[in-house]
Amino acid sequence: MSLGSHWRRSAASAILLLAVPAALQAADPPKILRVTFQAAETGFDPVRVSDYYSGAIIEAIFDTLLTYDYLARPAKLVANAAESLPEISPDGRSYVFKIRKGIYFADDPAFKGRKRELTALDYAYSLKRFYDPRHRSPYAFLFTGKIVGLDELAEQAKASGNFDYDAPVAGLQTPDRHTLVIRLKQPDLNFSYVLAFPLSGAVAREAIEAYGEESPSHPVGSGPFLLKRYTRSSKIVLAANPGYRGKLWDFVPGDDPRQREIASQMQGKRLPRLDGVEVSIMEETQSRWLAFERGETDIEYQLWDVAPTFMTDDGKLRPEFVRRGIQLDRTIDPEITYLYFNMQERIGDSPNPVGGFGKERIALRRAIAMSYKVDDQIRIIRKGQAVRALYPVPPGVAGHDPRYRSLIPYDPRAANALLEKFGYRKGADGYRRQPDGAPLVIRNASTPTERDRQFDELLKRSLDSIGVRLEIQKERFPELLKLEKQCRHMTRMAAWIADYPDGDNFMQLLYGPNTHESNNACYRSKEFDLRYEKSRRLADGPERDRLYHEMTRLMELDTVWLLLDSRIRNALQQPRVVGFTKHPVLHAEWLYLDLAPRSGG
Amino acid sequence: MRRLWQFVPTLLGVVLLVFFLFNFVGGDPAYLLAGKISNPAQIENIRRQLGVDQPYAVQLWIFVKQIASGDFGASWSTNERVSEIFATRLGPSLTVLVPLLAISTLLAMAAAMLVAYLRGSLTDRAIMVGCTVGQSISILVYILVFQYVLAYQLGWFPVQGWGITFAENLLRYSVLAIIVGVAVSLAPDIRLYRSFFLDEISQDYVRTARAKGLSEHRVMWVHVLRNAAIPIVTNILLQLPGLLAGAFLIERFFGIPGIGREVILAVERSDFPVIKAVTVYVAVATMIVNLAADLLYKAIDPRVQLK
Repeated sequence: MSLGSHWRRSAASAILLLAVPAALQAADPPKILRVTFQAAETGFDPVRVSDYYSGAIIEAIFDTLLTYDYLARPAKLVANAAESLPEISPDGRSYVFKIRKGIYFADDPAFKGRKRELTALDYAYSLKRFYDPRHRSPYAFLFTGKIVGLDELAEQAKASGNFDYDAPVAGLQTPDRHTLVIRLKQPDLNFSYVLAFPLSGAVAREAIEAYGEESPSHPVGSGPFLLKRYTRSSKIVLAANPGYRGKLWDFVPGDDPRQREIASQMQGKRLPRLDGVEVSIMEETQSRWLAFERGETDIEYQLWDVAPTFMTDDGKLRPEFVRRGIQLDRTIDPEITYLYFNMQERIGDSPNPVGGFGKERIALRRAIAMSYKVDDQIRIIRKGQAVRALYPVPPGVAGHDPRYRSLIPYDPRAANALLEKFGYRKGADGYRRQPDGAPLVIRNASTPTERDRQFDELLKRSLDSIGVRLEIQKERFPELLKLEKQCRHMTRMAAWIADYPDGDNFMQLLYGPNTHESNNACYRSKEFDLRYEKSRRLADGPERDRLYHEMTRLMELDTVWLLLDSRIRNALQQPRVVGFTKHPVLHAEWLYLDLAPRSGG
Repeated sequence: MRRLWQFVPTLLGVVLLVFFLFNFVGGDPAYLLAGKISNPAQIENIRRQLGVDQPYAVQLWIFVKQIASGDFGASWSTNERVSEIFATRLGPSLTVLVPLLAISTLLAMAAAMLVAYLRGSLTDRAIMVGCTVGQSISILVYILVFQYVLAYQLGWFPVQGWGITFAENLLRYSVLAIIVGVAVSLAPDIRLYRSFFLDEISQDYVRTARAKGLSEHRVMWVHVLRNAAIPIVTNILLQLPGLLAGAFLIERFFGIPGIGREVILAVERSDFPVIKAVTVYVAVATMIVNLAADLLYKAIDPRVQLK
């Protein structure tokens, strides 16, 4: 045998040895997670969106400074692109972040072939964009009035028509490439939460300038995924970002057996495990349900309407689904729904029968609240997929008090007696009149949708039980919002879901100066406002909890809201999904998941 | 030319109607775009950027200029150019609706001619009863049942979805949507076309043709069909502008990224640029199609004179 043939044979053997595992590897299909959105996204430029679904994609593509521990409940902040949690000055006005070195944006033509490192300047630029009036950012409220110097820059931009991104800003400094210093106008010990919000992720200025008005469909981030294919309002395909720095799955499970199981499956694995995520927009429940049942999707968590199909009354998965290996994850959404009363004495030029702080007005509001059977709402309209909300701060959010007991029971008999006591007498038609003899009509605003019709009917039935006449004022959603901001609804059922898991995000809904912004009830109480302002200067803890408790009592004594419910999110997963549990704040958990090989595959 | 000039007042009426409905019934889009928390200054900033703070006359003039230039600007909610929306959504809608229209027309004409020929027979009565029942059922029921049985139970089609290539979309994802669309439109079309055929069958020229000894085949396929074709063509042409507006229920349930779905989204989001463009395009298409129908009449029946 010649030397040449020996080499050829050796080389062939080596190629064969290399090729076998490669071939085996090639035989493994890519791990593509298939999920659905029940409403269309609007785009992926962080400053231009307000919907949950766009936020989920943005969370997967961009890197925020902070994020949340995947398993900790209540949600707990951890570092993401920052090396650690920020150094916060004792007065709560200054935040210093050290950005991790060696994080790079995904390759993009906007970078002209160069690797582009993520720096503190990118975060400074990204935060400034929320103040640029041109973007009319729906989430500007998270930043407006907070960072020193930026509101003034925004005002200049309104006048000149051009936001000067290069102007020095006292509240936003980058002493070196990897240090970001944020100075706030007011002490705020909870500002870190804002910097974990997905829309605060870093964009690259070159990419934004290169794509201009097209930037919502050309997101360029440094996160675990990148946008591979995009058919608007139909399909969003993400691929794992090959340049992602990677993370280790390293979380401490709580006592929950499900968390322990997840930890045993995932601990120490390098992330992301998925090769991609395929998101289909499916507005209709039947389509989502059948697609999941046919195995066309892997996770489905928007199936309130058909929950009885796969769940027993006690919230367990039906045996036939258990046998198939389907998994169910149940969490309470960090949200509240509530019926609010307009607290102003007048609505426009007309007197408001439910407004004001007079005893008879409070009695009327209290009686209405006592007549509404929230349990029926949960049983009939929510199909059992909600829990009673008893505190303005929902479960899973810092500041929630599970021991709080409401002053307002469901008691129509007592409600009738209360109305009698305060002079609301029934007329010949069976409906009550105001104490001065004027007709009493409650007008509840709602949208012309099937869901709202159900709420209207339940409210009508409740008010009939205490002899109070109800009229439904139907408005299209934009008009409903407009009238709400102008304090022109008498009552309305509203909902609020946490932007970040801190009680302040909920308590601000009752703060007087937020009237015409987020205080739908237009509630102005000196006592409440003083406590709220004090709570803003405190971190989560017993002292702030005490204030929240007092504020809630005040709200109940004035009967500004009737707290209704918080919905339960039921996430169904195919047997091959590994590591999924719904996080109360994160929009998308895709980074932390894995897919087992298909059986037989 | 006179017919072309008639386009102008018609279009003007459409423009005024849309403008009135949006501004006085549609609600202020600034409040939707402002997000969860906004103050009056932010609302004002949005209104200024959208141009809805301008006097109505100015806004109307901008609308007219947009029609003249064909440039309706960008969507208020997604920032996507309206022209891009049409360019990308029309294809999927047409992929479903063109075969749907063609198949349902051919089937309806064949069935209608048969039952008209067999008028009064058991077949005629059975099909007419079937059509009455079919017509009474909501499209939603057709969708729910067909999707459940054909896609979920039998697994013949995907429950929903849309692919990349035209062939994949036409042969895999559109088939169930087309079947549903055909099932929905067949019943009313058969009833309508049957009446057209019956009108013709009872005409003197048919009796004359039969008296001349022409075969039934020739009488039906040449004489009756040709004359019945005029109202049938009218009916088909009147459906054509609807292709531009898509079939939103079918598109929503089957995940087809078509124009119908986009129209519903635009209405939900008070996205006036998209609403304006769709309305104007459908109005123009309707006028053009009406004109085309008249010209076609002349081609089909030389006795028809255009005035």
